[in-house]
Amino acid sequence: MKKIVLLACVLVSFVFGGNNVPVVDNALYQKECTSCHFGYQPALLSKASWEKVMGGLNEHFGTDASLSKDDTSTLLGYLVANAGNSKITRGNDTIYISRSPYFIKEHRDISPRLISQKEVGSISNCIACHIRADEGSYRSRDIFIPNYGKWK
Amino acid sequence: MKKIVIAIFLLSTALFAQEFNASMKTYVQSLSVEAKKENPSFGGFDAKRGEAIFKSVHVSKKGKEISCATCHSNDLKQTGINVNTGKSITALAPSANPARLSDVKEVDKWLRRNFNDVFAREGSALEKGDVLTYIINQ
Repeated sequence: MKKIVLLACVLVSFVFGGNNVPVVDNALYQKECTSCHFGYQPALLSKASWEKVMGGLNEHFGTDASLSKDDTSTLLGYLVANAGNSKITRGNDTIYISRSPYFIKEHRDISPRLISQKEVGSISNCIACHIRADEGSYRSRDIFIPNYGKWK
Repeated sequence: MKKIVIAIFLLSTALFAQEFNASMKTYVQSLSVEAKKENPSFGGFDAKRGEAIFKSVHVSKKGKEISCATCHSNDLKQTGINVNTGKSITALAPSANPARLSDVKEVDKWLRRNFNDVFAREGSALEKGDVLTYIINQ
């Protein structure tokens, strides 16, 4: 019995905990958003944040990323339905994932030099170090920082 | 002899010239109607003018020098790189990447976005038609 409970705990923590987020499973999101950047999973921002993002696509981080009205509302629907409501999004209703208090805490020990190096370029380039970020894994064991190595 | 030269010429045009598909032809046609409306002396789109537009350098909203070639490179058969995100961009030349200039919705979307980013305004019908004529011949 004890073993079963333990196994169940491990399984639950594997599925829900351990810095995993559900993968992107929307073809339109995949096509439109990842043509320019990493496909940030919907759970990385709150509903309020996504509403701001999708309301300002013509000035999207300094770039015109505008879409047709139909595509904009379809994507907003997907993002809002799958928006985050967890430690990642707590205290952050901005359009910047990197302004989440939890995000800041988790990245506080990374030297700025490792972020600005050309292999990474910016803190927003998740997949440069979270080598399985596209699978929704942000776990420690899936971190490999260029010119540094495995995160310890 | 003359006939052979003509035959070779026709064959090479058929082999190398890129053509817009039917829906893109309609789109480019609508641009030329608009260009004619804006300027009655309009006499057709021009790849040379398109190239000049493509390679002209401007100051972006971010205060940096930018041209279309900043991301797409000067050789459109090559892979480009998004200067903001570092993500690679598949080649723009239809000869290297047949998916390019095949979907009106995509073409219209990117012309709107990229003119705004590089020129800080939308492109005119003449400019859009010239740029498309430049790209289709790459």
